[in-house]
Amino acid sequence: MSDKNTLTINSIDSENNVSTAIKKSFLEENLKLKLAVNALIIKSKSLLLACVGLFLFGGFWSLLSIYTEDALPGPVATLTVLKEMLSDPFYDYGPNDKGIGLQLFNSIKTVLFGFLLGSLIAIPIGILMGASTICKQIFYPIVQLLKPVSPLAWFPIGLVVFKDTGMATIFIVFITSLWSTLINTSFGVASIPQDHKNVAKAFGFSKMRYLTKILIPYSLPHIITGLRLSISVAWLVIVAGEMLSGGAGIGFFVWDSWNALSLEKVISAILIIGIVGLLFDRIFTFIENKVAYKA
Amino acid sequence: MSYLEIKDLEISFPTPKGKYIAVKNINLSIKKGEIISIIGHSGCGKSTIMNAVAGMLSPTSGTVQLDGKTIKGPGPDRGIVFQNYSLLPWLSVHENIFQAVDSVMNCSTKEKHEIVDYNLEMVNLLSHRDKLPGQLSGGMKQRVAIARAFAINPGVLLLDEPFGALDAFTKSSMQLEVLKLWNLNNRDKTIIMITHDIEEALFLSDRIVVLNDGPASTIREIVEVHLARPRNKIEFVKTAEYIELRDKLLHLLTEEFSIEDLGVVYKS
Repeated sequence: MSDKNTLTINSIDSENNVSTAIKKSFLEENLKLKLAVNALIIKSKSLLLACVGLFLFGGFWSLLSIYTEDALPGPVATLTVLKEMLSDPFYDYGPNDKGIGLQLFNSIKTVLFGFLLGSLIAIPIGILMGASTICKQIFYPIVQLLKPVSPLAWFPIGLVVFKDTGMATIFIVFITSLWSTLINTSFGVASIPQDHKNVAKAFGFSKMRYLTKILIPYSLPHIITGLRLSISVAWLVIVAGEMLSGGAGIGFFVWDSWNALSLEKVISAILIIGIVGLLFDRIFTFIENKVAYKA
Repeated sequence: MSYLEIKDLEISFPTPKGKYIAVKNINLSIKKGEIISIIGHSGCGKSTIMNAVAGMLSPTSGTVQLDGKTIKGPGPDRGIVFQNYSLLPWLSVHENIFQAVDSVMNCSTKEKHEIVDYNLEMVNLLSHRDKLPGQLSGGMKQRVAIARAFAINPGVLLLDEPFGALDAFTKSSMQLEVLKLWNLNNRDKTIIMITHDIEEALFLSDRIVVLNDGPASTIREIVEVHLARPRNKIEFVKTAEYIELRDKLLHLLTEEFSIEDLGVVYKS
Protein backbone atom coordinates (compact mmCIF):
# COMPACT_ATOMS: atom_id res chain seq x y z
CA MET A 1 0.00 0.00 0.00
CA SER A 2 2.60 2.43 1.08
CA ASP A 3 4.74 1.38 -1.89
CA LYS A 4 1.96 2.28 -4.26
CA ASN A 5 1.53 5.59 -2.54
CA THR A 6 5.12 6.51 -2.98
CA LEU A 7 4.91 5.48 -6.61
CA THR A 8 1.98 7.76 -7.30
CA ILE A 9 3.63 10.61 -5.52
CA ASN A 10 6.78 9.98 -7.53
CA SER A 11 4.93 9.95 -10.82
CA ILE A 12 3.10 13.14 -10.00
CA ASP A 13 6.38 14.64 -8.96
CA SER A 14 8.11 13.74 -12.22
CA GLU A 15 5.15 15.03 -14.23
CA ASN A 16 5.39 18.25 -12.30
CA ASN A 17 9.07 18.40 -13.06
CA VAL A 18 8.48 17.95 -16.78
CA SER A 19 5.88 20.67 -16.84
CA THR A 20 8.11 23.09 -14.91
CA ALA A 21 10.95 22.29 -17.28
CA ILE A 22 8.75 23.07 -20.25
CA LYS A 23 7.53 26.24 -18.59
CA LYS A 24 11.11 27.21 -17.84
CA SER A 25 12.32 26.65 -21.38
CA PHE A 26 9.27 28.50 -22.66
CA LEU A 27 10.06 31.42 -20.37
CA GLU A 28 13.66 31.39 -21.53
CA GLU A 29 12.57 31.41 -25.17
CA ASN A 30 10.22 34.22 -24.38
CA LEU A 31 12.97 36.21 -22.71
CA LYS A 32 15.30 35.68 -25.65
CA LEU A 33 12.61 36.85 -28.04
CA LYS A 34 11.92 39.90 -25.91
CA LEU A 35 15.60 40.81 -25.86
CA ALA A 36 15.87 40.39 -29.62
CA VAL A 37 12.79 42.55 -30.19
CA ASN A 38 14.16 45.19 -27.81
CA ALA A 39 17.47 45.26 -29.66
CA LEU A 40 15.62 45.60 -32.95
CA ILE A 41 13.52 48.47 -31.62
CA ILE A 42 16.61 50.30 -30.38
CA LYS A 43 18.37 49.78 -33.71
CA SER A 44 15.43 50.87 -35.85
CA LYS A 45 14.94 53.87 -33.58
CA SER A 46 18.50 55.06 -34.11
CA LEU A 47 18.17 54.39 -37.85
CA LEU A 48 14.96 56.40 -37.94
CA LEU A 49 16.58 59.30 -36.10
CA ALA A 50 19.55 59.18 -38.50
CA CYS A 51 17.06 59.40 -41.37
CA VAL A 52 15.43 62.41 -39.70
CA GLY A 53 18.85 64.06 -39.55
CA LEU A 54 19.57 63.32 -43.20
CA PHE A 55 16.14 64.57 -44.17
CA LEU A 56 16.67 67.86 -42.30
CA PHE A 57 20.07 68.21 -43.97
CA GLY A 58 18.51 67.58 -47.40
CA GLY A 59 15.79 70.13 -46.65
CA PHE A 60 18.29 72.78 -45.63
CA TRP A 61 20.35 72.00 -48.74
CA SER A 62 17.27 72.34 -50.98
CA LEU A 63 16.41 75.68 -49.38
CA LEU A 64 19.94 76.91 -49.96
CA SER A 65 19.70 75.75 -53.55
CA ILE A 66 16.42 77.63 -54.06
CA TYR A 67 17.88 80.70 -52.34
CA THR A 68 20.88 80.75 -54.72
CA GLU A 69 18.52 80.25 -57.69
CA ASP A 70 20.07 76.90 -58.55
CA ALA A 71 23.64 78.24 -58.65
CA LEU A 72 24.07 75.62 -55.92
CA PRO A 73 22.58 72.44 -57.30
CA GLY A 74 19.96 70.78 -55.11
CA PRO A 75 19.93 67.19 -53.85
CA VAL A 76 18.00 65.77 -56.79
CA ALA A 77 20.26 67.30 -59.45
CA THR A 78 23.34 66.21 -57.51
CA LEU A 79 22.16 62.65 -56.99
CA THR A 80 21.42 62.32 -60.73
CA VAL A 81 24.99 63.34 -61.53
CA LEU A 82 26.33 61.09 -58.76
CA LYS A 83 24.43 58.16 -60.22
CA GLU A 84 25.88 58.91 -63.63
CA MET A 85 29.40 59.12 -62.15
CA LEU A 86 28.97 55.82 -60.36
CA SER A 87 27.54 54.06 -63.41
CA ASP A 88 30.94 54.15 -65.12
CA PRO A 89 33.52 54.88 -62.41
CA PHE A 90 36.60 53.43 -64.11
CA TYR A 91 36.68 55.09 -67.56
CA ASP A 92 39.95 56.59 -68.68
CA TYR A 93 39.94 59.20 -71.45
CA GLY A 94 43.47 60.49 -71.03
CA PRO A 95 45.21 62.30 -68.13
CA ASN A 96 42.55 64.99 -67.54
CA ASP A 97 39.44 62.87 -67.85
CA LYS A 98 39.22 59.83 -65.61
CA GLY A 99 36.32 58.13 -63.82
CA ILE A 100 35.64 58.87 -60.14
CA GLY A 101 36.61 55.30 -59.21
CA LEU A 102 40.09 55.70 -60.69
CA GLN A 103 40.55 59.09 -58.98
CA LEU A 104 39.42 57.68 -55.67
CA PHE A 105 41.68 54.66 -56.07
CA ASN A 106 44.60 56.99 -56.75
CA SER A 107 43.93 59.04 -53.60
CA ILE A 108 43.51 55.99 -51.39
CA LYS A 109 46.76 54.56 -52.77
CA THR A 110 48.62 57.79 -51.99
CA VAL A 111 47.14 58.06 -48.51
CA LEU A 112 47.87 54.45 -47.61
CA PHE A 113 51.43 54.67 -48.89
CA GLY A 114 52.21 57.91 -47.04
CA PHE A 115 50.38 56.71 -43.94
CA LEU A 116 52.26 53.40 -43.92
CA LEU A 117 55.65 55.12 -44.24
CA GLY A 118 54.71 57.64 -41.55
CA SER A 119 53.53 54.91 -39.18
CA LEU A 120 56.67 52.86 -39.72
CA ILE A 121 58.70 55.84 -38.53
CA ALA A 122 56.28 57.15 -35.89
CA ILE A 123 55.63 53.92 -33.95
CA PRO A 124 59.28 53.04 -33.18
CA ILE A 125 60.16 56.64 -32.33
CA GLY A 126 57.00 56.88 -30.22
CA ILE A 127 58.06 53.74 -28.33
CA LEU A 128 61.53 55.19 -27.75
CA MET A 129 60.05 58.49 -26.57
CA GLY A 130 57.72 56.68 -24.19
CA ALA A 131 60.36 54.33 -22.84
CA SER A 132 63.26 56.71 -22.36
CA THR A 133 63.31 60.21 -20.90
CA ILE A 134 66.41 61.06 -22.92
CA CYS A 135 64.69 60.15 -26.19
CA LYS A 136 61.68 62.15 -25.13
CA GLN A 137 63.83 65.17 -24.40
CA ILE A 138 65.49 64.83 -27.81
CA PHE A 139 62.37 64.38 -29.92
CA TYR A 140 59.57 66.12 -28.07
CA PRO A 141 60.61 69.71 -28.86
CA ILE A 142 60.74 68.85 -32.58
CA VAL A 143 57.29 67.30 -32.39
CA GLN A 144 55.90 70.31 -30.56
CA LEU A 145 57.43 72.67 -33.10
CA LEU A 146 56.31 70.86 -36.24
CA LYS A 147 52.96 69.41 -35.20
CA PRO A 148 50.98 72.66 -35.50
CA VAL A 149 52.29 73.35 -39.02
CA SER A 150 49.74 72.77 -41.78
CA PRO A 151 50.97 69.77 -43.75
CA LEU A 152 50.46 71.73 -46.99
CA ALA A 153 53.37 73.95 -46.00
CA TRP A 154 55.60 70.93 -46.57
CA PHE A 155 54.54 70.64 -50.19
CA PRO A 156 57.26 72.90 -51.64
CA ILE A 157 59.87 71.03 -49.63
CA GLY A 158 58.58 67.76 -51.04
CA LEU A 159 58.75 69.23 -54.53
CA VAL A 160 62.34 70.38 -54.09
CA VAL A 161 63.50 67.09 -52.60
CA PHE A 162 61.65 64.65 -54.86
CA LYS A 163 61.13 66.81 -57.97
CA ASP A 164 57.82 65.04 -58.51
CA THR A 165 54.32 66.18 -57.56
CA GLY A 166 53.11 62.65 -56.84
CA MET A 167 56.00 62.03 -54.48
CA ALA A 168 55.48 65.44 -52.89
CA THR A 169 51.85 64.52 -52.16
CA ILE A 170 52.94 61.28 -50.55
CA PHE A 171 55.47 63.31 -48.58
CA ILE A 172 52.82 65.61 -47.08
CA VAL A 173 50.65 62.61 -46.18
CA PHE A 174 53.72 61.05 -44.58
CA ILE A 175 54.36 64.17 -42.47
CA THR A 176 50.68 64.36 -41.51
CA SER A 177 50.62 60.73 -40.40
CA LEU A 178 53.48 61.17 -37.95
CA TRP A 179 52.16 63.31 -35.14
CA SER A 180 49.08 61.62 -33.69
CA THR A 181 50.71 58.20 -33.90
CA LEU A 182 53.92 59.48 -32.35
CA ILE A 183 52.18 61.20 -29.43
CA ASN A 184 49.71 58.40 -28.73
CA THR A 185 52.37 55.70 -28.92
CA SER A 186 54.71 57.52 -26.58
CA PHE A 187 51.85 58.22 -24.17
CA GLY A 188 50.83 54.55 -24.23
CA VAL A 189 54.35 53.31 -23.57
CA ALA A 190 54.98 55.92 -20.87
CA SER A 191 51.84 54.90 -19.01
CA ILE A 192 52.72 51.20 -18.58
CA PRO A 193 51.83 50.54 -14.92
CA GLN A 194 54.63 49.83 -12.46
CA ASP A 195 52.88 46.53 -11.65
CA HIS A 196 53.54 45.21 -15.14
CA LYS A 197 57.14 46.39 -15.03
CA ASN A 198 57.55 44.67 -11.67
CA VAL A 199 56.40 41.37 -13.17
CA ALA A 200 59.07 41.70 -15.86
CA LYS A 201 61.68 42.53 -13.23
CA ALA A 202 60.70 39.83 -10.75
CA PHE A 203 60.63 37.06 -13.33
CA GLY A 204 63.71 38.24 -15.21
CA PHE A 205 62.06 38.99 -18.55
CA SER A 206 64.50 39.60 -21.39
CA LYS A 207 64.21 42.87 -23.36
CA MET A 208 62.50 40.98 -26.19
CA ARG A 209 60.00 39.30 -23.88
CA TYR A 210 59.25 42.66 -22.24
CA LEU A 211 58.68 44.23 -25.64
CA THR A 212 56.43 41.50 -27.04
CA LYS A 213 54.55 40.46 -23.90
CA ILE A 214 54.18 43.72 -21.99
CA LEU A 215 55.10 46.89 -23.87
CA ILE A 216 53.37 46.22 -27.18
CA PRO A 217 50.21 44.52 -25.86
CA TYR A 218 49.78 47.28 -23.30
CA SER A 219 50.28 50.18 -25.70
CA LEU A 220 48.60 48.65 -28.76
CA PRO A 221 45.18 50.23 -28.08
CA HIS A 222 46.91 53.63 -27.75
CA ILE A 223 48.88 53.04 -30.95
CA ILE A 224 45.76 52.10 -32.90
CA THR A 225 43.98 55.22 -31.63
CA GLY A 226 46.96 57.23 -32.87
CA LEU A 227 46.78 55.51 -36.26
CA ARG A 228 43.06 56.19 -36.49
CA LEU A 229 43.57 59.91 -35.80
CA SER A 230 46.50 60.00 -38.24
CA ILE A 231 44.63 58.43 -41.12
CA SER A 232 41.63 60.71 -40.66
CA VAL A 233 43.88 63.78 -40.82
CA ALA A 234 45.75 62.27 -43.77
CA TRP A 235 42.46 61.84 -45.58
CA LEU A 236 41.64 65.49 -44.85
CA VAL A 237 44.99 66.59 -46.19
CA ILE A 238 45.00 64.51 -49.37
CA VAL A 239 42.13 66.51 -50.90
CA ALA A 240 43.93 69.79 -50.37
CA GLY A 241 47.23 68.23 -51.44
CA GLU A 242 45.84 66.98 -54.71
CA MET A 243 44.31 70.38 -55.42
CA LEU A 244 47.86 71.72 -55.22
CA SER A 245 49.60 68.91 -57.05
CA GLY A 246 46.91 68.40 -59.70
CA GLY A 247 46.81 65.66 -62.26
CA ALA A 248 45.23 62.86 -60.27
CA GLY A 249 43.14 61.98 -57.27
CA ILE A 250 39.84 62.98 -55.72
CA GLY A 251 41.19 66.40 -54.70
CA PHE A 252 42.19 67.11 -58.29
CA PHE A 253 38.73 65.90 -59.35
CA VAL A 254 37.06 68.45 -57.05
CA TRP A 255 39.20 71.28 -58.39
CA ASP A 256 38.78 70.17 -62.00
CA SER A 257 35.00 69.96 -61.59
CA TRP A 258 34.97 73.46 -60.09
CA ASN A 259 36.92 74.76 -63.07
CA ALA A 260 34.45 73.03 -65.37
CA LEU A 261 31.69 74.68 -63.29
CA SER A 262 30.11 71.36 -62.45
CA LEU A 263 29.09 71.86 -58.84
CA GLU A 264 27.03 68.67 -58.96
CA LYS A 265 30.32 66.80 -59.37
CA VAL A 266 31.96 68.81 -56.59
CA ILE A 267 29.17 67.97 -54.14
CA SER A 268 29.13 64.33 -55.25
CA ALA A 269 32.87 64.16 -54.63
CA ILE A 270 32.35 65.68 -51.17
CA LEU A 271 29.85 62.93 -50.35
CA ILE A 272 32.25 60.26 -51.56
CA ILE A 273 35.15 61.77 -49.59
CA GLY A 274 32.96 61.72 -46.50
CA ILE A 275 32.00 58.10 -46.96
CA VAL A 276 35.59 56.95 -47.48
CA GLY A 277 36.70 58.91 -44.40
CA LEU A 278 33.95 57.26 -42.39
CA LEU A 279 35.05 53.84 -43.63
CA PHE A 280 38.68 54.47 -42.58
CA ASP A 281 37.46 55.51 -39.15
CA ARG A 282 35.22 52.45 -38.83
CA ILE A 283 38.02 50.07 -39.82
CA PHE A 284 40.36 51.45 -37.17
CA THR A 285 37.62 51.55 -34.54
CA PHE A 286 37.03 47.88 -35.29
CA ILE A 287 40.74 47.09 -34.83
CA GLU A 288 40.78 49.20 -31.67
CA ASN A 289 38.00 47.08 -30.18
CA LYS A 290 39.81 43.92 -31.25
CA VAL A 291 43.03 44.77 -29.42
CA ALA A 292 41.35 46.22 -26.32
CA TYR A 293 41.67 44.10 -23.16
CA LYS A 294 39.86 44.06 -19.88
CA ALA A 295 42.05 44.82 -16.88
CA MET B 1 74.32 29.03 9.20
CA SER B 2 71.13 30.80 8.26
CA TYR B 3 69.69 30.62 4.77
CA LEU B 4 68.61 34.23 4.38
CA GLU B 5 70.62 36.82 6.26
CA ILE B 6 69.71 40.50 6.51
CA LYS B 7 72.57 42.47 8.09
CA ASP B 8 72.38 46.12 9.26
CA LEU B 9 70.01 46.92 6.43
CA GLU B 10 69.25 50.56 5.84
CA ILE B 11 67.23 51.86 2.92
CA SER B 12 66.76 55.53 2.24
CA PHE B 13 65.45 57.55 -0.66
CA PRO B 14 66.59 60.96 -1.81
CA THR B 15 63.77 63.51 -1.72
CA PRO B 16 63.75 67.25 -2.47
CA LYS B 17 63.68 67.82 1.30
CA GLY B 18 66.71 65.62 1.88
CA LYS B 19 67.30 61.97 2.69
CA TYR B 20 64.24 59.97 3.71
CA ILE B 21 65.18 56.90 5.73
CA ALA B 22 62.57 54.19 5.30
CA VAL B 23 64.09 51.44 7.44
CA LYS B 24 67.35 51.07 9.37
CA ASN B 25 69.21 48.65 11.64
CA ILE B 26 67.31 45.68 10.28
CA ASN B 27 68.95 42.41 11.32
CA LEU B 28 67.21 39.16 10.62
CA SER B 29 68.38 35.64 9.95
CA ILE B 30 65.96 33.15 8.53
CA LYS B 31 66.34 29.38 8.34
CA LYS B 32 65.47 27.35 5.29
CA GLY B 33 61.81 26.34 5.31
CA GLU B 34 60.79 28.96 7.86
CA ILE B 35 57.60 30.99 7.46
CA ILE B 36 58.11 34.57 8.60
CA SER B 37 55.48 37.29 8.80
CA ILE B 38 56.31 40.97 8.84
CA ILE B 39 53.65 43.00 10.57
CA GLY B 40 53.34 46.71 11.28
CA HIS B 41 51.33 49.80 10.56
CA SER B 42 50.93 51.22 7.07
CA GLY B 43 54.01 53.06 5.86
CA CYS B 44 56.37 51.40 8.33
CA GLY B 45 58.63 49.99 5.65
CA LYS B 46 57.36 46.41 5.41
CA SER B 47 57.32 46.49 1.64
CA THR B 48 60.71 48.20 1.59
CA ILE B 49 62.31 45.28 3.42
CA MET B 50 60.55 42.81 1.14
CA ASN B 51 61.66 44.70 -1.98
CA ALA B 52 65.23 44.58 -0.73
CA VAL B 53 65.01 40.79 -0.39
CA ALA B 54 63.34 40.62 -3.82
CA GLY B 55 66.20 42.66 -5.28
CA MET B 56 63.87 45.37 -6.57
CA LEU B 57 65.56 47.89 -4.26
CA SER B 58 69.21 47.99 -3.42
CA PRO B 59 70.24 48.64 0.19
CA THR B 60 71.65 52.05 1.05
CA SER B 61 73.86 50.24 3.53
CA GLY B 62 74.05 46.73 4.91
CA THR B 63 73.52 43.51 2.97
CA VAL B 64 70.96 40.88 2.19
CA GLN B 65 72.47 37.45 1.61
CA LEU B 66 70.71 34.40 0.30
CA ASP B 67 72.51 31.06 0.66
CA GLY B 68 75.75 32.94 1.27
CA LYS B 69 75.47 35.13 -1.82
CA THR B 70 74.69 38.84 -1.66
CA ILE B 71 71.47 39.76 -3.45
CA LYS B 72 72.13 42.26 -6.22
CA GLY B 73 68.87 42.14 -8.16
CA PRO B 74 65.77 40.08 -8.79
CA GLY B 75 66.41 36.41 -9.47
CA PRO B 76 64.69 33.10 -10.07
CA ASP B 77 65.64 31.92 -6.56
CA ARG B 78 62.92 34.22 -5.20
CA GLY B 79 59.27 34.07 -6.28
CA ILE B 80 57.12 37.09 -5.63
CA VAL B 81 53.36 37.34 -5.14
CA PHE B 82 52.31 40.95 -5.44
CA GLN B 83 49.55 42.59 -3.47
CA ASN B 84 47.44 43.36 -6.54
CA TYR B 85 48.02 40.05 -8.34
CA SER B 86 49.97 41.73 -11.18
CA LEU B 87 48.78 39.39 -13.89
CA LEU B 88 49.09 40.54 -17.48
CA PRO B 89 45.48 41.13 -18.58
CA TRP B 90 46.08 40.27 -22.27
CA LEU B 91 47.55 36.83 -21.53
CA SER B 92 45.56 33.74 -20.55
CA VAL B 93 46.04 32.20 -17.11
CA HIS B 94 48.31 29.55 -18.62
CA GLU B 95 50.32 32.12 -20.62
CA ASN B 96 50.78 34.34 -17.58
CA ILE B 97 52.54 31.54 -15.73
CA PHE B 98 54.24 30.20 -18.85
CA GLN B 99 55.97 33.53 -19.57
CA ALA B 100 57.52 33.45 -16.08
CA VAL B 101 58.52 29.78 -16.37
CA ASP B 102 59.83 30.24 -19.90
CA SER B 103 61.88 33.24 -18.80
CA VAL B 104 63.45 31.53 -15.80
CA MET B 105 63.71 27.76 -16.36
CA ASN B 106 66.06 25.78 -18.55
CA CYS B 107 64.13 22.85 -19.95
CA SER B 108 62.17 21.91 -23.06
CA THR B 109 59.05 23.85 -24.01
CA LYS B 110 56.95 20.76 -23.45
CA GLU B 111 58.26 20.37 -19.91
CA LYS B 112 57.62 24.05 -19.25
CA HIS B 113 53.97 23.67 -20.29
CA GLU B 114 53.73 20.64 -18.01
CA ILE B 115 55.16 22.63 -15.09
CA VAL B 116 52.55 25.33 -15.68
CA ASP B 117 49.69 22.86 -15.80
CA TYR B 118 50.95 21.02 -12.72
CA ASN B 119 51.00 24.24 -10.72
CA LEU B 120 47.56 25.26 -12.00
CA GLU B 121 46.30 21.85 -10.91
CA MET B 122 47.76 22.47 -7.43
CA VAL B 123 45.64 25.62 -7.01
CA ASN B 124 42.60 23.95 -8.63
CA LEU B 125 42.57 26.24 -11.64
CA LEU B 126 43.48 23.85 -14.43
CA SER B 127 39.96 24.08 -15.87
CA HIS B 128 40.40 27.86 -16.12
CA ARG B 129 43.77 27.74 -17.88
CA ASP B 130 42.60 29.44 -21.08
CA LYS B 131 40.65 32.25 -19.43
CA LEU B 132 41.87 35.82 -19.26
CA PRO B 133 42.52 37.32 -15.80
CA GLY B 134 39.59 39.72 -16.36
CA GLN B 135 37.25 36.71 -16.30
CA LEU B 136 38.43 35.54 -12.87
CA SER B 137 37.43 36.53 -9.33
CA GLY B 138 39.94 38.19 -7.00
CA GLY B 139 40.67 34.95 -5.16
CA MET B 140 41.25 33.07 -8.42
CA LYS B 141 43.60 35.78 -9.67
CA GLN B 142 45.61 35.55 -6.48
CA ARG B 143 45.78 31.76 -6.85
CA VAL B 144 47.19 32.26 -10.34
CA ALA B 145 49.77 34.65 -8.90
CA ILE B 146 50.69 32.10 -6.21
CA ALA B 147 50.91 29.32 -8.79
CA ARG B 148 53.19 31.55 -10.87
CA ALA B 149 55.49 32.17 -7.91
CA PHE B 150 55.65 28.44 -7.06
CA ALA B 151 56.04 27.40 -10.70
CA ILE B 152 59.54 28.83 -11.02
CA ASN B 153 60.48 26.66 -8.03
CA PRO B 154 62.21 29.35 -5.96
CA GLY B 155 63.88 28.76 -2.61
CA VAL B 156 62.20 31.82 -1.14
CA LEU B 157 58.62 32.99 -1.61
CA LEU B 158 57.86 36.62 -0.97
CA LEU B 159 54.21 37.41 -0.37
CA ASP B 160 53.42 41.12 -0.20
CA GLU B 161 50.06 41.43 1.58
CA PRO B 162 48.83 38.61 -0.60
CA PHE B 163 45.31 38.37 0.77
CA GLY B 164 44.73 42.00 1.68
CA ALA B 165 42.22 42.57 -1.10
CA LEU B 166 40.23 39.37 -0.50
CA ASP B 167 37.09 38.81 1.54
CA ALA B 168 37.38 36.91 4.82
CA PHE B 169 36.21 33.51 3.49
CA THR B 170 38.42 33.57 0.43
CA LYS B 171 41.29 34.75 2.58
CA SER B 172 40.95 31.81 4.93
CA SER B 173 40.93 29.25 2.11
CA MET B 174 43.92 30.96 0.47
CA GLN B 175 45.93 30.64 3.69
CA LEU B 176 45.28 26.90 3.61
CA GLU B 177 46.23 26.87 -0.07
CA VAL B 178 49.62 28.37 0.74
CA LEU B 179 50.20 25.91 3.59
CA LYS B 180 49.23 23.03 1.28
CA LEU B 181 51.79 24.08 -1.31
CA TRP B 182 54.41 24.59 1.39
CA ASN B 183 53.77 21.05 2.69
CA LEU B 184 53.78 19.56 -0.80
CA ASN B 185 57.24 21.06 -1.22
CA ASN B 186 58.43 19.19 1.91
CA ARG B 187 58.28 22.38 3.94
CA ASP B 188 61.63 23.44 2.53
CA LYS B 189 60.49 26.67 0.89
CA THR B 190 61.17 29.76 2.93
CA ILE B 191 58.20 32.10 2.98
CA ILE B 192 58.28 35.75 3.94
CA MET B 193 54.89 37.36 4.12
CA ILE B 194 53.73 40.89 4.80
CA THR B 195 50.40 41.13 6.55
CA HIS B 196 48.16 43.41 8.59
CA ASP B 197 46.28 40.53 10.09
CA ILE B 198 47.39 39.16 13.47
CA GLU B 199 45.37 35.94 13.21
CA GLU B 200 46.74 35.29 9.74
CA ALA B 201 50.29 35.87 10.96
CA LEU B 202 49.79 33.47 13.88
CA PHE B 203 48.11 30.83 11.74
CA LEU B 204 50.89 30.72 9.17
CA SER B 205 54.16 31.78 10.74
CA ASP B 206 57.03 30.36 12.73
CA ARG B 207 58.13 33.86 13.66
CA ILE B 208 56.49 37.27 13.43
CA VAL B 209 58.60 40.38 12.92
CA VAL B 210 56.91 43.45 14.39
CA LEU B 211 58.14 46.77 13.00
CA ASN B 212 58.07 50.19 14.65
CA ASP B 213 56.27 53.01 12.91
CA GLY B 214 58.15 54.84 10.20
CA PRO B 215 60.01 56.85 9.13
CA ALA B 216 63.33 55.20 9.94
CA SER B 217 61.55 52.20 11.36
CA THR B 218 63.40 49.40 13.05
CA ILE B 219 62.46 45.94 14.26
CA ARG B 220 60.45 46.31 17.46
CA GLU B 221 60.34 42.68 18.41
CA ILE B 222 60.47 39.23 16.89
CA VAL B 223 57.74 37.00 18.28
CA GLU B 224 58.25 33.23 18.15
CA VAL B 225 55.19 31.11 17.43
CA HIS B 226 55.52 27.56 18.75
CA LEU B 227 52.00 26.40 17.90
CA ALA B 228 52.13 22.81 16.64
CA ARG B 229 51.56 22.10 12.94
CA PRO B 230 49.32 21.31 11.20
CA ARG B 231 47.28 24.10 12.74
CA ASN B 232 43.53 23.96 12.68
CA LYS B 233 41.69 27.24 12.09
CA ILE B 234 39.04 26.47 14.69
CA GLU B 235 41.15 24.69 17.28
CA PHE B 236 44.27 26.81 17.34
CA VAL B 237 42.50 30.01 18.38
CA LYS B 238 41.34 28.22 21.55
CA THR B 239 44.83 27.36 22.76
CA ALA B 240 46.34 29.34 25.62
CA GLU B 241 49.42 30.07 23.55
CA TYR B 242 47.39 31.63 20.73
CA ILE B 243 45.55 33.89 23.16
CA GLU B 244 48.76 34.93 24.88
CA LEU B 245 50.53 35.66 21.58
CA ARG B 246 47.57 37.55 20.14
CA ASP B 247 47.42 39.80 23.22
CA LYS B 248 51.14 40.37 23.04
CA LEU B 249 50.95 41.34 19.36
CA LEU B 250 47.96 43.59 19.94
CA HIS B 251 49.85 45.38 22.71
CA LEU B 252 52.86 45.77 20.43
CA LEU B 253 50.75 47.22 17.62
CA THR B 254 48.21 49.43 19.34
CA GLU B 255 47.61 51.15 22.64
CA GLU B 256 43.88 51.59 22.48
CA PHE B 257 41.57 48.67 23.09
CA SER B 258 38.24 50.23 24.06
CA ILE B 259 36.53 53.58 23.87
CA GLU B 260 37.68 54.23 27.44
CA ASP B 261 41.22 54.28 26.15
CA LEU B 262 40.11 57.09 23.85
CA GLY B 263 38.96 59.10 26.88
CA VAL B 264 35.27 58.36 26.42
CA VAL B 265 33.37 57.53 29.58
CA TYR B 266 30.70 54.92 28.94
CA LYS B 267 27.49 55.61 30.83
CA SER B 268 24.87 52.91 30.99
